[in-house]
Amino acid sequence: MAGVVLETLSNRKLLGLVIGVLVLQVVAFLIGGLIAPAPNSATSLLATKCLGEITEPPLRDWLEPWGQNKCVSIQSIDEVFHDKELVFAVRFPLMRENVQLDMSRWFQNIMAIINVEKVYKNRDLAFPATLHMDARLGYKNKGDDHWTELVRSTETRPLKCEPPEIKDDGYNYHCEVLSLFELGSCHHDYYLVNIRLPMQGGLNSETGRIDDLTLVEIHQNGGFTRVWFALKTFVFPLLLMALAWNAHRVRKLDRQANLLEKSLLCLGCTLVLLDLPVEWLTLWMHMPFMLLFSDIRQGLFYSVLFSFWIIFTGEHLMDQLERNRLVLYWKHLSAVVFGCICLFVFDMCERGIQLQNPFYSVWATTVGMRLALAFIVMAGVAGCCYFLFLCYMVLKVFRNIGAKRESIPSMAKNRRKFYLGLIFRFKFLMFMTLLCAAMTVIAFIIVNVSEGYWKWGADNTVQYNSAMQTGVYAMWNLYVICLLILYAPSHKYKMLQEQSEATRE
Amino acid sequence: MKALDFCLILLLLEELCGSTSGLRWLALATVGSVDHIQKEEACDTLSGLVKRQKKICKRNIEVMHAVKKGAVSAIDECQYQFQNRRWNCSTVDHGSAVFGNVLNAGTREAAFVHAISSAGVTYAVTKACSSGQVDKCGCDRSIRGKSPQGFEWAGCSDNVAYGSAFCGMFVDARERAKGRQSSRALMNLHNNEAGRLAVEENMKVQCKCHGVSGSCEMKTCWRGLPSFREVGAMLKDRFDGASEVEEQKVGSRKKLVPKNTQFKPHETQDLVYLEASPDYCISDPETGSLGTSGRTCNRSSKAIDGCELMCCGRGFNVKRRVVDERCHCKFHWCCYVKCQQCKKVVDEYVCR
Repeated sequence: MAGVVLETLSNRKLLGLVIGVLVLQVVAFLIGGLIAPAPNSATSLLATKCLGEITEPPLRDWLEPWGQNKCVSIQSIDEVFHDKELVFAVRFPLMRENVQLDMSRWFQNIMAIINVEKVYKNRDLAFPATLHMDARLGYKNKGDDHWTELVRSTETRPLKCEPPEIKDDGYNYHCEVLSLFELGSCHHDYYLVNIRLPMQGGLNSETGRIDDLTLVEIHQNGGFTRVWFALKTFVFPLLLMALAWNAHRVRKLDRQANLLEKSLLCLGCTLVLLDLPVEWLTLWMHMPFMLLFSDIRQGLFYSVLFSFWIIFTGEHLMDQLERNRLVLYWKHLSAVVFGCICLFVFDMCERGIQLQNPFYSVWATTVGMRLALAFIVMAGVAGCCYFLFLCYMVLKVFRNIGAKRESIPSMAKNRRKFYLGLIFRFKFLMFMTLLCAAMTVIAFIIVNVSEGYWKWGADNTVQYNSAMQTGVYAMWNLYVICLLILYAPSHKYKMLQEQSEATRE
Repeated sequence: MKALDFCLILLLLEELCGSTSGLRWLALATVGSVDHIQKEEACDTLSGLVKRQKKICKRNIEVMHAVKKGAVSAIDECQYQFQNRRWNCSTVDHGSAVFGNVLNAGTREAAFVHAISSAGVTYAVTKACSSGQVDKCGCDRSIRGKSPQGFEWAGCSDNVAYGSAFCGMFVDARERAKGRQSSRALMNLHNNEAGRLAVEENMKVQCKCHGVSGSCEMKTCWRGLPSFREVGAMLKDRFDGASEVEEQKVGSRKKLVPKNTQFKPHETQDLVYLEASPDYCISDPETGSLGTSGRTCNRSSKAIDGCELMCCGRGFNVKRRVVDERCHCKFHWCCYVKCQQCKKVVDEYVCR
């Protein structure tokens, strides 16, 4: 196995590189924490109860909750006349400080959730209940007179509500939030949602009286998108340079590139794909598939990264077995591939179908839910298998290292150098990988804890959530850049080898 | 006809205004119809508002509808929470203030009514903001600048921030209008603030994960409004644990401190009162107490709703009645409940 840059690099250069990487890493955290706002913002919108004409098909006319063509609204659903129809209408964004806000393309995606408010009065909720909805989503741009339909759909959602702790009039049931729709792009200025709860043929009889619907609209913050784009645009050329340099080094070798070198190049390529800042195009073009595309890019990167770790460990086993062939790793890699395919199928089922119908959700039906859970469980099992394989191999490497340690002093100079290099290389990567993995896990925990646990009133000047997103993203980029630089074939090593061979002759 | 009624009430209220209560604005709840508060001129005719409140009303005419709704729900909630007590938050049809003279003294009851009405306004304005009925709700707390740049950069703050701020401006106006701060004003201000805090404390945090494939790598949380009943229940708890305070001068400012120095000082969310409540047993026009004669009581209870305590030891009469009750109810979407009528004999205990 050929030597790599890491072994021949002088300590000063290595230290320089490490410091440079650390500085960039800290900067990435700080940009996220201090400049960017929170990654997403959520707005609670109370649906206005509009009275509309009963039409065929249902929801033929748009009903606006406010604005110039305000619908006839009622305060309580008891006021519905029999010849009219009740439609829950939500329009966003709202007016704020007498200014009509508009959705910006910087928002990237929109997600909507509905919250059912049911007063615990009639005790009329059957279990399990299914909520049936006719839903219609439309948009309007500045200067448009009319709303344009984006999608209409008949949807069902399982309604899971707990009675309140104090079973008394006036308290609300505690209902689980229901996902309503997910849009992979935010291309228009204003959006309007009309929801009707049909009643023909006993539909919605088990849900009972629904007093209010609250829609929660979630989008990525424009400020965060800007910071994110800037980070991507900055990192992309760096990575491209490191990749080109590595490829150049590999091409200059007078032998075929070995498996490890190939897989490293492959890892670099998938990260280039992930970093490619195509998101800029969303500011001009309508690209609703971006959400799915980002998921696929990330999935691809992580699967190649996992495969790389297996191959790297395998190639450092030091058991005199000539590997260098991908086929030998089929067991391990099939776990990775299988897990990724499971997640891919799941993602296609959710976000793929959402391209057609943003109201679609796999979790809405029992069959879909079981299927989705099955895929996620299978992916989890594959992940566990992979992890066990990896741990087993790493343990084996350490055992072999222990065994080699004893015999190293008695080895010939060249052999000794070869093995010492191998051990150093392996340990260095182990250290880096563990550090990055630990940071990712910590970031994950912080994101989940800091969001659920809110201190209200205090102005958050440091955005932990954003810092974690930008920090982790930058970390894996720097990790791969380091690998591409440090694990490129070294020409110094070749020179040294030639020298020693020459002296032997 | 309604307008005439309304004017009469106004005249009456104007005549009799002048006592210390800061709750006159609750008279908004008695305004017959929503349509009354739509033009700025309406603000001048509204009863119970001080000059400053009228000014706020004119400047925020679209919010006034929500304020009225808040006042109504506050009175409803007060009556619900106090239905089993000697003082049952009953409103008086003829008189200077909504609740009569009862709240003129700085009692626990006055503390509760201040808190619940301030909570009611906060709640209603917040709700109006999130349904888009009010165009001028704020969008602050964004880090960079004001909307719309602020909205694009970091979104808007919670509606409850505006609801609370507006309530602070409107409800506190009467107390703040007086130059010299009396201890009663301090008490009212404190309890108003406690009411607003009760709404914010009851907000429910909900979260949604939306990372890659819906994982929790990305998580967003928001706060949802509770039912107003929960706010009322919390304030009722605080009513039970309210602390008696007195005014004290600390430096150049006046402050309320516990009367009994052994008790730990009250916090912002606690209710405070200055005087012990009367027993509300007999009708007394002086204190405004209506007495408990004629109130129904619970024979099996030993608590305040029990006949012993409710009737102040005067005893009670038993009335046997046959009532039609709705039973086997089923809700039909949308929107009526179909019930059967069942006959039931009930004994009613009425205080002498």
